[in-house]
Amino acid sequence: MAKSLNFRTASVAAGFFLAMLGSAMAAEQIMFVSQGGAYQKAQTIAILDPSAKKLGITINQDSVPDAWPIMRSQVASGKPTWDVVDVATNFCLRGGEQGIVEKLDFSKIPNAAAMPAEYRSDYSVAYEFYSSVLGYNLKKFPDAASAPKSWADFWDVKKFSGRRSLRNHPLATLEAALMADGVAPDKLYPLDVERAFKKLEEIKPNITVWWTSGAQSAQLLNDGEVDMVMAWNGRISALTKEGAKVTYTYNQGILQSTSLCVLKGAPNLPTAIKFLNEAVDPVHQANLPLHIDYGPANPKAYDTKVISEARVKELPSAPENAKVQALMSYAWWTSPAGEAAEKRWLQFMQK
Amino acid sequence: MTTQTIDPSLRHQRREQALMTLLAAPAVLVIVALVVIPVGWLAAQSIYDNGFTLEHYRRIFTEEVYWRSFALTFRIALMVTLLTLLLGYPVAYAAAHAKRPWNVLILACVMLPFWTSVLVRAYAWLVLLQRTGVANQLLERFGLITEPLAMVHNELGTVIATVHILLPFMVLPLYSTMQKIPRELMLAGASLGGGPLYSFLRIFLPLSLPGVVAGLTLVFVLTLGFYITPELLGGGRTVMISMVVSRNVELYAQWGAASAVGVVLLVCVLAIFAAVGRIIPLDKMLGQK
Amino acid sequence: MANIGGERVEIRSASKHYGSVRALDDVSLDIAPQEFVSLLGPSGSGKTTLLGILGGFIQPSGGSVHLGGRDVTYTPPHKRDIGIVFQNYALFPHMSVGENVAFPLRARRLPKSTYAEKVRGALAMVDLAGYEERGIGQLSGGQRQRVALARAMIFEPRLILMDEPLSALDKQLRENMQIELRQLHKRLGATIIYVTHDQREALTMSDRVAILKDGKLVQIDRPERLHDHPANAFVASFIGEATLLPVERVGSDSVSLAGTVLKSARPIAPNGELVLAIQTEKLLIEDGSGSPERNRLEARVTDVVFQGESLRVFLALDDGTPLSLRQPSHYEAARRIPPVGGRLALSLHPQDTIIVPKAGA
Repeated sequence: MAKSLNFRTASVAAGFFLAMLGSAMAAEQIMFVSQGGAYQKAQTIAILDPSAKKLGITINQDSVPDAWPIMRSQVASGKPTWDVVDVATNFCLRGGEQGIVEKLDFSKIPNAAAMPAEYRSDYSVAYEFYSSVLGYNLKKFPDAASAPKSWADFWDVKKFSGRRSLRNHPLATLEAALMADGVAPDKLYPLDVERAFKKLEEIKPNITVWWTSGAQSAQLLNDGEVDMVMAWNGRISALTKEGAKVTYTYNQGILQSTSLCVLKGAPNLPTAIKFLNEAVDPVHQANLPLHIDYGPANPKAYDTKVISEARVKELPSAPENAKVQALMSYAWWTSPAGEAAEKRWLQFMQK
Repeated sequence: MTTQTIDPSLRHQRREQALMTLLAAPAVLVIVALVVIPVGWLAAQSIYDNGFTLEHYRRIFTEEVYWRSFALTFRIALMVTLLTLLLGYPVAYAAAHAKRPWNVLILACVMLPFWTSVLVRAYAWLVLLQRTGVANQLLERFGLITEPLAMVHNELGTVIATVHILLPFMVLPLYSTMQKIPRELMLAGASLGGGPLYSFLRIFLPLSLPGVVAGLTLVFVLTLGFYITPELLGGGRTVMISMVVSRNVELYAQWGAASAVGVVLLVCVLAIFAAVGRIIPLDKMLGQK
Repeated sequence: MANIGGERVEIRSASKHYGSVRALDDVSLDIAPQEFVSLLGPSGSGKTTLLGILGGFIQPSGGSVHLGGRDVTYTPPHKRDIGIVFQNYALFPHMSVGENVAFPLRARRLPKSTYAEKVRGALAMVDLAGYEERGIGQLSGGQRQRVALARAMIFEPRLILMDEPLSALDKQLRENMQIELRQLHKRLGATIIYVTHDQREALTMSDRVAILKDGKLVQIDRPERLHDHPANAFVASFIGEATLLPVERVGSDSVSLAGTVLKSARPIAPNGELVLAIQTEKLLIEDGSGSPERNRLEARVTDVVFQGESLRVFLALDDGTPLSLRQPSHYEAARRIPPVGGRLALSLHPQDTIIVPKAGA
């Protein structure tokens, strides 16, 4: 009898202990969502795994190509399962406006202090940079001197013959049109939408393909289907690495970012904030470009000496490169004028 | 006191009816769960956004973007439908008239692409039709063209790939109808003095019409909902209505805006079926008895 | 519809091979204008192939077809002007009765104004006056048959082919239609070639019957000649209700059946195996009233079957050889038949003693 009582006590104790352990583990985990593919693999190695180790937390991962509608419906359901989302910065801002994303307390994110103000918002902190650049086929333009170097060149169909492709999306495309029309990269915002669309109408008959996915833009350039394209820098450098005769210029590139934001009512809010701070740590950030052609969002990463001199030159957010590019204003794109411009795009495409 | 006697055969009939209802119940449940509820939810979303609203519908009927896409979608559907008929009719005819191993072979060739994903087939067409693709290279080698033809990244590419994907939906109903046309009818037509063309036009063609209508309807309705093919082969310019649905999710960040387009498309499809159903009963169209 | 006369039909050495299968093997037929000829044979005998060659649907592997002296071997069906009535009628289901019947007129682009009257005439001919507007689905089997007939006749063909046209009808209707077809034939005067596997139908309707077997023409003759002078054991077995018994030749006019010598009124082939074909109605019960030269037999009754208008008596000779005879089922006949096991004296007239070569059986 006594024996069985002891046994019962022991098992109750063991159960209690396990429950404690379980809840402790539950408290120290987050659900992190990014866009999948090589990009998510690279950040797992460079940022996610080291952060999890350093913080002693578990980072569960999910990936979707288009997170925005799911963010909305998760918050609308009142019980979101995601904590941190890595998504194009405009969605973080729009999420902040619509009450889908938590307002951040930057006193708890000291690593962000070193980042320029344009890299942050009340609702987001930049995570990595990429650029929409002018890429072209080296077989068509073998001589660097006579190759297209600006959006004005891209628009000049007489001087630069060849087939062209632009992204089937207004972001960056409107900026490129304005730069082609003579607007300086640092004087773009607020965008003159009317002028941009007018300039786009001009090039429209000469656009062979309006691409919809990054893979498509790379394939078009690689197959010789088009001779020049506005594409993401990482897509073109990946082709170069495979030996394709293609290249690109950072001149007048449109520097874009994805940001991290935390869903409103995230189940693991404190851990999520802890993770946010860790994710923009200069060393983790410096590790990212070692695995993929994206630039760190924290400029301090360039001071860590983790990235080689040669590598720095290739990265979109490197100070030398950033200087010749335009920094996208996500604040403008999430403003009513920006949203109206986005809605106007479809109409432009159909005509 | 009067006792009413129930006809035993009537009682039996009732019992049989009850049994039938019971047997059909699981199927009905599945349909309710997988079709009726989601579609109902979709419809509800399109008119409810923090309160009743017809805003999404107002937009569809007033903004140019929508009717342009609807017009384009219907135009592509019409072209695809007519092309599949033109290509599918001779194939179905050949299959219906070929002897044993050959008819199976013809049908297998028609069905073969069915086992490949739509995505793979779209990319295959891209490889074939693009500027540096096989088709252009061959045409150039034979000196038929000097400049590569723009066969993809436009409406033409979309139509070609869609015709290919939907051809089986034309051939199969045609084949099943043609196969049931008794051989002797054409022999009779000939013996009664009708030449091959005359007999075809007066006998075979009218008797194959149910298959034609079924094929036309299926292909037309299926084309209306095409997404991947125009997305990959349309060059961005070919904005079909399904792409507007997806873009609405992105742009308005509300299911309602996209749902409304979906509901309008659904209503179009149902209207087509209803109209065609007046000519040929639906069950006959989808699975000939 | 007036008598428009018939076409002379000649088939010369027609053959059709499918690979190594000979569906039709060197068949020649010469059919006189206005003649009614049946092609009779079991399935696979080649009668449908022969009809297909006549109609132009099947190209012969060899030989030729002549209509009215004109070689039509390679003429397409729609230029042959042959009326064909198909086994399953082959009516056009999407057309009314009137449209079906008018089809040959339209196909020939005859003046439209003549259609109505011709259709009315053709339908009246088959007792379907006023049926123009009916749908095919509303007709009974017999009515469909008549529409098919009207349609095949309306363009006044001088040759009509019929492929088992009555096989889908019930017995009563079939017998009525047989009579009607004969009368129609007389009125139209067209040559009719009629395919059937029903020997009674062939014998009832035809001027001559061609018997086919394994793609070969075995015999073509008038019905009564086929009955009395079968060319071989196959014809004898196919026509009527005969019992075939092996016999041995004992003289130029006599054979031996299990020891009994029987005389025949016809010459007997000098060599080869022979069989005696006894038609049930020709074997009589001996009552002493027959002619003196009659053959006599004795047998034991093994069974008596009542078949309505007649009785069929099954018999066995002393050595067990089975035989049968038929008696009208009236009281007098029944009285003469002993119960099962009883002996019965039989007689067979030499004119009815048919000896045929076994070959080809």
